[in-house]
Amino acid sequence: MIDYILKRILQLIPALLLVSVVSFSIIYFAPGDPAETLCTGPDGSANPKSVEEFRIKMGLDKPLHTQYLIWLNNVLHGDFGYSYQSENPVFDHIKKAFGATFKLSVVSLIISLAISIPLGIISAIKQNSPVDVACMVGASLGVSMPNFWLGLLLMLLFGVYLHWLPVAGYGDGGDLEHILLPAITLGTGSAAITARLMRSSMLEALGQDYIQTARAKGVSERIVIGKHALKNALIPVVTMVGLNFGYLLNGSIVVETIFGWPGIGRLTVDSINMRDYMMVQGCILFVAVLFVAINLLVDISYRYIDPRIHYEAA
Amino acid sequence: MKREIQFGIIGLIVSAMLLASMPSVSAELFGDANEDTRINMQDVTKVERMILEYDSETTSADANQDEDINMQDVTFIELIILERKPFPGGSLNAVMIFGPKDNTLDPAFKWTGWYVRKAGIYETLFKYNDEMELTPELATGYTQVSDTVWDIHLREGVIFHDGTPFNADAVVYSIERVTDVLNSRSSEYDHIESIVAAGDYTVRITTTDPYAPTIASLTDPLVSMVSADEEIDLVSDPVGTGPFMYDSNVFGASLSVVRNPDYWGGGVKLEDVTLTYVSDSTTRATMLESGDVDVARGLPYPQVSTIEDNVNLDVVSKETLRLYFMFVNTDPEPGRAPLDDIRVRRAINYAIDRDEVVDTALEGVGGVPAKGVFPSIFPWANDDLTGYSHNQAKALELLADAGITDIDDDDVLELSSGEDFTLNIKTYTTRAAMQPSVEVIESQLEDIGIDVTVELLGSSAIKIDMENGDYDMAFYSYGVAPSGDPDYYLTAHFDSTADYKENRWTQYSNATVDSLLASARTEMDPATRKDYYDQAQEIIVEESPEMFIFHEKELVGHHIDVIGYEIYPNEITFLTKNMYIGR
Repeated sequence: MIDYILKRILQLIPALLLVSVVSFSIIYFAPGDPAETLCTGPDGSANPKSVEEFRIKMGLDKPLHTQYLIWLNNVLHGDFGYSYQSENPVFDHIKKAFGATFKLSVVSLIISLAISIPLGIISAIKQNSPVDVACMVGASLGVSMPNFWLGLLLMLLFGVYLHWLPVAGYGDGGDLEHILLPAITLGTGSAAITARLMRSSMLEALGQDYIQTARAKGVSERIVIGKHALKNALIPVVTMVGLNFGYLLNGSIVVETIFGWPGIGRLTVDSINMRDYMMVQGCILFVAVLFVAINLLVDISYRYIDPRIHYEAA
Repeated sequence: MKREIQFGIIGLIVSAMLLASMPSVSAELFGDANEDTRINMQDVTKVERMILEYDSETTSADANQDEDINMQDVTFIELIILERKPFPGGSLNAVMIFGPKDNTLDPAFKWTGWYVRKAGIYETLFKYNDEMELTPELATGYTQVSDTVWDIHLREGVIFHDGTPFNADAVVYSIERVTDVLNSRSSEYDHIESIVAAGDYTVRITTTDPYAPTIASLTDPLVSMVSADEEIDLVSDPVGTGPFMYDSNVFGASLSVVRNPDYWGGGVKLEDVTLTYVSDSTTRATMLESGDVDVARGLPYPQVSTIEDNVNLDVVSKETLRLYFMFVNTDPEPGRAPLDDIRVRRAINYAIDRDEVVDTALEGVGGVPAKGVFPSIFPWANDDLTGYSHNQAKALELLADAGITDIDDDDVLELSSGEDFTLNIKTYTTRAAMQPSVEVIESQLEDIGIDVTVELLGSSAIKIDMENGDYDMAFYSYGVAPSGDPDYYLTAHFDSTADYKENRWTQYSNATVDSLLASARTEMDPATRKDYYDQAQEIIVEESPEMFIFHEKELVGHHIDVIGYEIYPNEITFLTKNMYIGR
């Protein structure tokens, strides 16, 4: 097991290297000079002298590969550099933004589970009934509805017409009032996918022989479904939820932007707009590590959920 | 069938309920007895009439909130008028586009000063008022001792939010924080050789060379006046002289301030303010419609009419100093459009219908047709310019003069060489208004028979083409006077001796313009200086090395309860002591 984990971690290194090279070159070739962009104030003019000074100060006058190697060397020493914009450590910004994204992710995960698990189970039990059809149509809608559109509709309904919730903003450090709308927006999308998966794996479990046996020996339907079927049906769902949580933690650029949520998605997009290379690199590397780590955790968790699965370090 | 009807009825009831719960006015201005949103002597009379039972009582007449209307309320209202009691101005929520996001609130760091000034925390020695006139703020005036020496006289009796006095030492400290070589924007203040205190309330600035915009450079919020107490960490604890004092903030999300009870300028009316920062324009408009905020800046064009239709909301707009214009490549190179010919440039200028551009591309709300470089709100604008009104006949006449006519009746003009008149217009997509505007212009030029192609590029790709002279015309947007001084734009674009990239792009050269601009730069008398600039602008508009299309308008939506709000064209000032919630 330990061998397996070590091997997986070793495999990460080339993947992360590739990610950093690709992101470094893409942003470099994207139009827009960071020195000019960052020295341009809100009024739209840049002092040519400050631009030149900035370029030299930040090492932007050096060739691309030199810039990359300097950056890589610093990262290997645990230094993610300083934001061009704020001149503060990149990692401080990421920590702060990740806090906001984490909060949002947890709440959307809870919302997503609260909707999807019961709906999936009910649809499976009442297969082909109008309830099932309604749930699955709802799920299809949920999957296909773009986030930004759903977000705007929710703003209009709960903010403009009903006045129940604030339209956008972070409130007092991301309070419940402000978190609900973006969390629902994010949660429904993943709820739709999870509900469909829950339904199909529940159906599969209900078709198994041991369920028939349980019913035959007179176990109540509640226990048959709640204990025997559900436990087995949850295995693929857990994987899915784990991966979903990984997606959520990477921060949704769209949802964070329209709701003015200061999370990691918005940090990335703002840094790209400002051509803050250091920050963009930091964000991408952070998100990549996070995603790979969650994948690994999900793989490992299989072993605990289903003892039949073994990993061998071949 | 019956069921469907039932559903329909339920749907109708639900939507009616939704409509009924639209925002309603809540805050109350206690002391405004006659409910005209103002507190003045008329309210005193009104309360007296109520006490005498001539008039019926209103809730807002109960100024001291003791649930009884009596002579105490009369006294209370008088005290409010005399600014001896705080004005019951309420709390304001506003949504802005950008805010401090660099983990610092220090005004001397990059452009953070813009945001903390908008929040009413900091002030500068001089400022531009809502008419774009240079006026003293924390200064009372200046004396120019010689070409390079300026004495600035300071306002007395001003104290910072921490209680320390505002004086010459504080000014020297504040300005030296900016001129310090470690400050990333210090090179913009290279012209300042030294600044010293010449008395308690006078500072002396010596510049390296004669520099007419010296005073104007002190309006940038970068040189906000901060307390000279070095113990204060201005990064997290802003201490200024403004009408509002810092309360709390969340970087990238919001900033809150409270009223400064000791403001030197007198009674600040709002009690507290929260500014929220949201970059998505539709969200900002929605926040205004929901009543979450009282003021929303930067409304998206399509939402403007919806907000105007709402009886509780109002939209105000003002021209800004942002100009949308065409660079014209006047370099006579064979194979390219004959734009070295003034007649051809003028013809194109006449063929452009600026009103149509504004009405269609900007939905009639986003801009004002331009006559010259500067908008009429800018004191340096030449008001005598007539610009180019749409006139196709005149355009065709000028083109015929230049030997360009439709020889073969194919509705496309031919050059004297017999080739079709083709014209390439390049632009970039960073700003939402660029593409729609240029498309309107494309069709207008095709109307008179010019074969136009439009090319959309990235903002650096277009710069490479401009630098190589690889374009006929290019549609751009610039802020025309960042420091409020007219020299910046005119010199960079039209002075052929100054070697700025903008002038290299157009290859425009006119000796008269060059010498007018050179004289204006060192001329210290404003009237003579303006005369030079007026003459230069006249020649530039006539010869059309650039075609000025429209001045952008800033669109701000606010609840009708918000009283005393003014748009400042340079976007630097936002919260003022005069704003309050009036109902």
